[in-house]
Amino acid sequence: MAGLVAALWVGLDAPALSRILATPGIGLSVASSLWTGSIATACALLLAHLAIALAVSGNWQRRLNAMTLPLLAMPHLAIGIGLALVLAPSGVLLRVFSPWATGFELPPDWLIVNDPAGLSLLVGLVLKETGFLVMALGAALGQVPSARLQMQSATLGYGPLKSWLTTVAPALQQQIRLPLAAVFVFGISNVEMAIPLGPDLPPTFSVLLWRWFTDPDPTIHAQAYAGTLLLFVLGIAAIVAAAVLGRLVRRLLRISAESGTRRHTERPVRRLIGIVLAAGFTLGLLSIVAIGLRAFSGQWRFPTLLPDRSSLDVWTDVAALSASVAGTTLALAAATALLGVALVLPAAEGCKQSANTRRQVGAWLFLPLLLPQMTFLFGVQVLLIRLRIDGTFVAVLWSHLIFALPYLWGLLAPARAAIDPRFDQVAATLGASPGRRWLTVTAPLLARPTLLALALAASVSVALYLPTLFAGAGRIATAASEAAAAAGSGNLRLAAAHAILLAVIPLCIFAIAYIAGAMLFRQRRGVPR
Amino acid sequence: MMALDIKNLSLRINGSALFAPLSLRVEPGTVTSVIGASGAGKSSLLNYLCGILPPEISAEGSVRLGSEDLSELPPQSRGLGRLFQDPLLFPHLDVAGNLLFGLRAGNSRRVRRERVAAALASVGLDGFAERDPATLSGGQQARVALLRVLLAEPRALLLDEPFRSLDDDNRRLVRELVFAEAKQRELPTLLVTHDQEDVIAAGGAVIRLQTPRQRDTANA
Repeated sequence: MAGLVAALWVGLDAPALSRILATPGIGLSVASSLWTGSIATACALLLAHLAIALAVSGNWQRRLNAMTLPLLAMPHLAIGIGLALVLAPSGVLLRVFSPWATGFELPPDWLIVNDPAGLSLLVGLVLKETGFLVMALGAALGQVPSARLQMQSATLGYGPLKSWLTTVAPALQQQIRLPLAAVFVFGISNVEMAIPLGPDLPPTFSVLLWRWFTDPDPTIHAQAYAGTLLLFVLGIAAIVAAAVLGRLVRRLLRISAESGTRRHTERPVRRLIGIVLAAGFTLGLLSIVAIGLRAFSGQWRFPTLLPDRSSLDVWTDVAALSASVAGTTLALAAATALLGVALVLPAAEGCKQSANTRRQVGAWLFLPLLLPQMTFLFGVQVLLIRLRIDGTFVAVLWSHLIFALPYLWGLLAPARAAIDPRFDQVAATLGASPGRRWLTVTAPLLARPTLLALALAASVSVALYLPTLFAGAGRIATAASEAAAAAGSGNLRLAAAHAILLAVIPLCIFAIAYIAGAMLFRQRRGVPR
Repeated sequence: MMALDIKNLSLRINGSALFAPLSLRVEPGTVTSVIGASGAGKSSLLNYLCGILPPEISAEGSVRLGSEDLSELPPQSRGLGRLFQDPLLFPHLDVAGNLLFGLRAGNSRRVRRERVAAALASVGLDGFAERDPATLSGGQQARVALLRVLLAEPRALLLDEPFRSLDDDNRRLVRELVFAEAKQRELPTLLVTHDQEDVIAAGGAVIRLQTPRQRDTANA
């Protein structure tokens, strides 16, 4: 909260604001931010609903979760850089079809990545946010009797898609308002995807701000400060607009529900959706592969699909830097995860009985995710400078915690509340003291969710770029900050080298957590997952 | 063993009494049944006795075991064994682990294991020590839950409809087992139930919990 107030205070600077408005192309910048953010959010939401609807009615929800997990674990920056490598005129996608289908012997002179309309940025955002929303919807599914609603509709003659959209989706939508708003604000204000994929000349508004912030000329910084205020206003306006639009969509759905129309077969529609989802998933996987290929390749003549020879050239440049970067990244991730869990577990213990308190705490913790990161972080930076701890490891750790806590809470608080309180009472009547009860009964039952929470917090920390940049005052280098800097300067090869770290660390962390969780209590069916 | 003595107990939720002030005495080796409609406060009564009453319910009155006042003791120091409606075996421990949790501390690991094995054998569950509780049948789980309580050497037994989730045959078997153990160990036993057969099998005094309003209409 204090961060927000501080940002508003410093940002209210009339001359700087008027200089922003005088910047050439500013209108286009703002427009492309709004356009990419809102279209991407709408597409991702629709796709996520359709994907869940198909998966639930086709009984492959587990497979859907397994499919979205790698996309979820992958930071925005890594997907963005990977996608740039796939979609570029010299990228993997065209290589697959060249020269046999396209006839290209040289990369065509197309502006696909960084296209002025922001289409590639759109694709990137949709890819990543669909995964996130699928997860959010999946979590909300437990609160809605979707199976019974669908069965009821089926007996009334409705296909699974229509019954989902008219009966289940509205109820689910209520549950995911906060995550959806976070996705929307992120879509408008992100730099992680807009740097490698977004339009150039003019860039999106957030990238413009980012360039001002990282400009060596301090006179430009005042513009950046004031810009965060404008970004904040854009975010609020967007959320209000989305709320209004949401009402409209609800009304349309109701009209559709009350019209009584039924399709005889939904198969063509279902097939189309299936193809779109599969294409998106393949694109995501390709971009992960592309990072690996690019990072390890030397020369890579155009139409060949695989690099001519693998090369460690780039690594000799990067290795010296990379070791310390990887070290800092891992240390931050570990510290964020451990400290975060250590904070959240006792709090979850205190809120185990009141679902209301849990919701309120969750909403407060979620607040930073509803603000444009730059606005919030700029305010935090002002505070950190006051406290004279900006640019330290502790400051960065604190900023990472702010962004990890909402996820930790969302995972651990319900997990703690779901443990039957009578286990604790049984242990008490058997003579166990409160401390022993927690250690021998509660803690083991929480072990699996805690493992997952540790992995989640660590991967959130690895992915964070702007918090590291702001709280670290540019002095703390992580894989994310190095990859963003490289991508910003147009050096995709160097960016890929750092993006490898960015991609591999979360995947490894999740793999370890998954395997450890499976090993733990392998012989005990009754232990909660 | 000593008698369980409840004096002038009333439980209030938001100021309104759950039942009329209650006094009762359970002699060692006897089973007193408590019956009453759902919501009459039967489970709350047991929660009060165990010391695990939720904060929104306030209590007045006292509970003694012999001459010892239990009201101010923390739950783990009261020495009251309680069987819940469900077996509630700890899912992360095997059967032996559950029983070892209940068994009083002391003795070597080997002796403790032997005691657990003997206890299992005494209820026809020999060889179940390393089983996952989730793979046991309802009747088997109920017997393990009973052993877990008994191994903690309670000074009284509190039974909260522990036979309800069992099928007819198992219900009879487990009920007989529980009452036989209670009698043999001379434990004062309080049974909360809906089931008329339970009450008959218990063979002791019967207390009907009534909301104060019900009592008023009964008196009128």
